[in-house]
Amino acid sequence: MDVLTGLSHGFAIALAPMNLLWCFVGVFLGTIVGLLPGLGPSATVALLLPLATQMSPTSGIIMLAGIYYGAKYGGSTTAILLNVPGESASVVTCLDGFEMARKGRAGPALGIAAIASFVAGTIGVLLLMLVAPPVAEFALRFGPPEYFALMALGLSMVVLLAGRSMIKALLSMLVGLWLATIGIDLFTDGDRFTFNRIELVDGVHFVVAAIGLFAIGEVLANLRPAGGEQQFKVPKGLRNLLPNWQDLKDCRFAFLNGSLVGFFIGVLPGAGSTIASFVSYGLEKAVSRRREQFGTGVIEGVAAPEAANNSETGGALVPLLTLGIPGSATTAILLAAFILWGMRPGPLLIQDHPDIFWGLVASMYIGNVMLLIFNLPLVPLFAQILRLPAHILYSGILGISIVGVYSVDQRLFDVWLVAGFGLLGYLMRRLEYPAAPLLLGLVLGDLMENAVRQSLMMSNGDVSILYSRPLAATMLLFTAAILVGPMFRQFNIWRLRAAEQEA
Amino acid sequence: MTLWKSLDKSELVSALLLVALGAFVAGEAWQWPYMTDDGPGPGFFPLWIGILLIGLSALLIAMQVSDAAGRKPVARISWAGTRPALLGWGALVVAAGLLEPAGFVVSYLLLSMVLLRLIFRRSWTSTAVVSVVSVACFWGLFVKLLEVRLPAGPWGF
Repeated sequence: MDVLTGLSHGFAIALAPMNLLWCFVGVFLGTIVGLLPGLGPSATVALLLPLATQMSPTSGIIMLAGIYYGAKYGGSTTAILLNVPGESASVVTCLDGFEMARKGRAGPALGIAAIASFVAGTIGVLLLMLVAPPVAEFALRFGPPEYFALMALGLSMVVLLAGRSMIKALLSMLVGLWLATIGIDLFTDGDRFTFNRIELVDGVHFVVAAIGLFAIGEVLANLRPAGGEQQFKVPKGLRNLLPNWQDLKDCRFAFLNGSLVGFFIGVLPGAGSTIASFVSYGLEKAVSRRREQFGTGVIEGVAAPEAANNSETGGALVPLLTLGIPGSATTAILLAAFILWGMRPGPLLIQDHPDIFWGLVASMYIGNVMLLIFNLPLVPLFAQILRLPAHILYSGILGISIVGVYSVDQRLFDVWLVAGFGLLGYLMRRLEYPAAPLLLGLVLGDLMENAVRQSLMMSNGDVSILYSRPLAATMLLFTAAILVGPMFRQFNIWRLRAAEQEA
Repeated sequence: MTLWKSLDKSELVSALLLVALGAFVAGEAWQWPYMTDDGPGPGFFPLWIGILLIGLSALLIAMQVSDAAGRKPVARISWAGTRPALLGWGALVVAAGLLEPAGFVVSYLLLSMVLLRLIFRRSWTSTAVVSVVSVACFWGLFVKLLEVRLPAGPWGF
């Protein structure tokens, strides 16, 4: 079955009334889940798994996938409005999204997040449909040394997330890397830095750290007696609450960059949407003509990570559908669903079960359109949240933070931990240590340590394995260029200053 | 003495705390195997993190001292507004402590009242109305509608 025949067959299946209904249920639930910090798509997909297995496999997978990509639309809303990242991939969206909200541009930020999600979600599905098998085979060439290089590339984004002091950004990242080592060491089964607390055996949950550092840190920094008035400007009129033509023009490259980066990183099992959002943000900043304004409310700074976050879904489905390899918690649950339906995803899935593959692909196109239609009208409504006076808004953010972290694992310890991270976030803000590199270190630390240790195990301790394979070497060269670039710029400034003084 | 005066003490203390954290991380990692027969051990990665933390924090201190010695204009860190922040944080910690014995409703009600009355200086009426309405909204949305399990006190909510 060629692509066009397959797609038309898929649309015939996805447009069946029952499948349309399940697609809507999936994307609706996904959006709600994405809005709430702590409740992730994996938990919701797991909760609905028993229901889905009672349905036909095609309807079931359409609904479960709808939750998966629908959650990504909702995740940016609290990040932009409240500086509360609903999921790990929304942390980067906080950087410029919340600053846009501060400047009275919450509406365009939410709107561009929805449009970027739609564009990238559609491109992701298009790529899933066209290049799935060869890309999946390419991804299999990624061994531990390549993963190490990819993580190094991800960590090099610290250069682009640094504020005034690069050393402070690096220190922040190192603290994040240390936090990532807390818990059970999977290689030896011993625990590290757990301080005899059973709750730390699983490590520090990313959502807990992100909500503490960003949301609670922000609230604490803004607590002051003269806070009775509205804290943020919200312009009147629908036209001012949605992105304008100039905004869309400014985001052209961000849509494309985010879509491609998100898809290709999504294909790699374990890499995930968080690294995709960081890398696409870094890339956008690196090529931008106004890179010094990133972090102060630049619309491309919202579009790129949001696009990457959504395109990653298409990418993550590639190894699942074509090789039967799940790359994340959610795709692992989707794999479980396939097994419960009595089928095994793999190279023969497209051939043996064309209804499922093409039905899913077509439903993802339809689901993305549904999400855009569903989310854009909600933008002006959500933006009204910022009309709340500071005393209601900030106490509400603290309430959402408590509920958000508690709902992750129903553990009181996480509430204590979020309070600790809140104080840390406040102090870091005061002392001008950027918080984003800490989260970058926390997300990538575990993956990087595993990659280094597996690589050195493969080579019996010979470190040359980390840079001798062509793919790893290429990524490490990019990493070096990103790290050394700012030093060259600084050197040039010193050189010019010295030349001026001599003259 | 002049050098000491020109140093921003909060910057210095933060860098010294990071040196201490680095020393702790490296010290702990030192007790675990650095290399095993299979490859790097559990001490490998944290040891390097600790060493880099110590090195970079020391570099930060050196730069601060050099700036202060060179009489460069140092942008001092402002600590204005710290008192309400610490009060708010204290209220959050107390609310976290009360979550289990008193439940979410009571602990969030108290947190909201402390913020509104003591920090935002709202009237008693405004404090009571806003706090009760917020708690009711949270309870209705999360517990009743979305069935999120939140800690309940002895009175069942």
